Amino acid sequence: MSDVKQVNLTIDGRAVTVPADWTVIRAAHAHDIDVPHYCYHPDLSIAGNCRICMVNVKGMPRPVVGCATPVAEGMEVSTMAPDAVEARKGVMEFLLINHPLDCPECDQAGECKLQDYSVEHGRDHGRFTEEKVRKSKATMGPHVKYWGSRCIVCTRCVRFTDEISGTGELGVIYRGDRSEIATFPGRTLDNPLSMNTVDICPVGALVSSDFLYQSRVWNLHSNPSVCGDCAVGCNTRVDLDAKDQIKRIVPRRNDAVNKEWMCDAGRLSFGYAYTGRLHKPKVNGQDATWRAARAAALALLEGGDVVALVSAWNTVETMTTVKDLLATVAPAATVAGYGNPVVADQVFPGFTISGDKNPNAAGLRQVFGIADATASLAALAADTRAIGTLLVVHNVPGFALTPEFRAVLDRARNVVLFDFASGDLLRYGNVSVALPTLTGFEKAGTFINRDGIAQAFEPVMPPVTQGMPETEIMAGMMQDARTAGARHAGSLQTERA
Amino acid sequence: MAETPATPTPEVPAPKPFVPFEPVLTRYIHDPDAHTIEHFLARGGYETARRHVGVTDPATLVATVKDSGLRGRGGAGFPTGMKWGFLAKGTGKPTYLAVNGDESEPGTHKDRHILEKDPHQLLEGVILTCWAIQSNHAFIYLRGEFILGYQRLEAAVKAAKEKGFIGKGIFGTGFDLKVTVVRGAGAYICGEETGMLSSIEGGRGYPKIKPPFPAVSGLFKCPTIVNNVETIANVTHIVKHGADWHKQWGTEKSPGYKIFCLSGAVKKPGVYEVPLGIRMIDFINEYGGGLVEGRTMKAVIPGGLSAPLLTPEMVEKCTLDYESLAGLGSMLGSGGITVLHDGVDMMSAIYNTMRFYHHESCGQCTPCREGTGWLEKLAHKHHAGHAAAGDADLLADVAKNMRGRTICVLADAAAMPMQSYLQHFRPEFDKRVGEAPRVAKVRTARDEITPAAKRDAAVHGAPSVEKVGMGDRT
Repeated sequence: MSDVKQVNLTIDGRAVTVPADWTVIRAAHAHDIDVPHYCYHPDLSIAGNCRICMVNVKGMPRPVVGCATPVAEGMEVSTMAPDAVEARKGVMEFLLINHPLDCPECDQAGECKLQDYSVEHGRDHGRFTEEKVRKSKATMGPHVKYWGSRCIVCTRCVRFTDEISGTGELGVIYRGDRSEIATFPGRTLDNPLSMNTVDICPVGALVSSDFLYQSRVWNLHSNPSVCGDCAVGCNTRVDLDAKDQIKRIVPRRNDAVNKEWMCDAGRLSFGYAYTGRLHKPKVNGQDATWRAARAAALALLEGGDVVALVSAWNTVETMTTVKDLLATVAPAATVAGYGNPVVADQVFPGFTISGDKNPNAAGLRQVFGIADATASLAALAADTRAIGTLLVVHNVPGFALTPEFRAVLDRARNVVLFDFASGDLLRYGNVSVALPTLTGFEKAGTFINRDGIAQAFEPVMPPVTQGMPETEIMAGMMQDARTAGARHAGSLQTERA
Repeated sequence: MAETPATPTPEVPAPKPFVPFEPVLTRYIHDPDAHTIEHFLARGGYETARRHVGVTDPATLVATVKDSGLRGRGGAGFPTGMKWGFLAKGTGKPTYLAVNGDESEPGTHKDRHILEKDPHQLLEGVILTCWAIQSNHAFIYLRGEFILGYQRLEAAVKAAKEKGFIGKGIFGTGFDLKVTVVRGAGAYICGEETGMLSSIEGGRGYPKIKPPFPAVSGLFKCPTIVNNVETIANVTHIVKHGADWHKQWGTEKSPGYKIFCLSGAVKKPGVYEVPLGIRMIDFINEYGGGLVEGRTMKAVIPGGLSAPLLTPEMVEKCTLDYESLAGLGSMLGSGGITVLHDGVDMMSAIYNTMRFYHHESCGQCTPCREGTGWLEKLAHKHHAGHAAAGDADLLADVAKNMRGRTICVLADAAAMPMQSYLQHFRPEFDKRVGEAPRVAKVRTARDEITPAAKRDAAVHGAPSVEKVGMGDRT
């Protein structure tokens, strides 16, 4: 921006100053002046085909499209001039003449630009009494379906596959009002970013197979969150139904992190919040009260010879609390990190999915100085010394027990596990105390992404289990440690009775 | 054979002094072997190119063409020399020449004759133009249906290459010129200059947003000059004889001569090359032999199907030049003149016209994609006699909403004839209101284009959606 000249213009009478290489629509949007648009997307090339963003520019013989008109010094733009209003009204009518009136069964209804702009810019009745053009339906790929008749051929999806995913599966077939979006012969829309086409589709033409008919969008409420699936830390919006069940995850714009994109895996990875959860604290395989479990864990940790294993899926807050807890109850403990194995990044022209399938490896580095979580676990596994108590702060969904991990578990006399799932770890290890924690959807925290950006998030839904955030459990343990008698065996028995 | 009118009517400005005119571009098209390089060389072919390439300052050639006042013959009539002057310089990118031979405007078939019968004339123009704009690569885009034209042009390129007129170091100079012949795949829209460029680039023939104009960023985002076949063929003659020679015919703003394609209800339809500025009625009567026996003129489509039509009174006033037709609210366009006689059902004519534009809209911009179909359906209602009251007003409003709202001018090309039909023949529209009982089904373009749907319609009386073999479409 620094080397680009700034120009001054007025939009609807408001004086604005923007870089000279901007378009009118960008300048308007940057100053909260609404210019309707379908084909325009800030992260895609300009197509200029929907024609809804017509604005009046003083001196031009007729309205021009805001998306393809560069700003100029002294330009006077009016979005509400009569000719621009009329042009938009005309375009709106054209968009709707062949569009089916299937809003009651269309997934997009409620968040559809055709509905919104029809109210704002359209006419109050239809004048088209002919037969509508019918187009085909198609399954584009594993996660995306296509309703041809609803399509307004804005080509956002085509440009996405050309420019952002670079996979180029989509194209336009046929001509004129028979135009449809299709995959090229022999191709399916199966790239790891395919569901972004659903987000950017301004109408109900491309819909997510996973969300299809799951809910009407007006019955959903949304909470912002951060995706934990990899080190990118995509900003997300989690949509929940009235029972606070997650229905879908969509990206939330953050130009510094993920722009407006997100991978399919990240969107679909909320199942672990509902299945295979650890519901109650367990001591030696038996359900226990919180106080009993906490006391048992504390006793083991204070027994000495403690090794702590902290996964890169934990929040910065959890890691810091682990550090505090160890300083309080087991100052001699050694700490190692671990996480999902790091694979190669998936690089696309406009987006990179990190190969580091852990959201907070950078946090592990900052809090514990563990530069490489995998190497840290390997070093621990290479040691053959017996471990008194192994503290595992896990919280990794879908974690596969590696040989290294098994080797460490095998050496431990006791294991204290913090995890939200009742998974392989609980079954395999001689876990003495298991403390149920919460998923990233149910607790607050901070992840530090691959670029060192710390992103705090809040819970999006109430806890599914009786679990508690690790920070609270550990804070309780530290308080217990300071309060003599709290961990007296008698109190355990009293409580059990 | 050429004879200019003797008595000007008061409405028409006094013509220039009479200069006898012999066809220039179409002079040899009746010789059966005029397409061979031997024939072309025997009549002094490639001599002009040999004299200028590598010798004359390119700027001088551009100045000559600019001075001649030559206007683009593709339809828009933009001054050719001025267009060449807009070429972006010093971009570090190659410059291209793209010759538009995708002659698809209904009623127009002039480029076809040059391509089929005198392709070397075009190639010499290409060579001179490329030297003038300093381009080393010319693309000639041909309409896909021009089979003979393609064969003859390819043969001509090959022959010229063998003679060293095209290729590395042409005419023994250090100037290289590559000529690539590209064939279209049957889309009208690829005759639009940027649509053609998209097609040459290998993409879908979608027109591009202007600006940037092709002269700044065209083919493969490089500076590109796009000219019509007839325009380029003119260049040789202008360079050979000079700008003043070219200006001795025509009017001040439309100098020179042009090939016109006369069709419709005339005794001798055909391709005629005449000086610009002659009266249209004289052209129809003297070249076309007047209207067919027993018929009178109802209207004339002056410049290809998209040009607003002229009534007989307007034809009387009209001269064949850009400004006269513009003054009458129409355009000279590509020079395809179609005469409609008094027996023509205008509802049939406009329905056929709208069917064409509906079929040919590329579908990129909303107003054109949806509007052309709507116009066709409404025109069909008038044609079939089951229009409702107010449908003609709706047609006018739809046409108005299409004009000037799209990337290219195809929407205007569809809307303009509709507006002119409504302007001049509104009673015929109104006559069809409620004339026939309303029928249940209206033909759609898909019925037209898919044999399967046609069969379905024949059997079931209803159009069906064709199953296509791409993905598991239902």
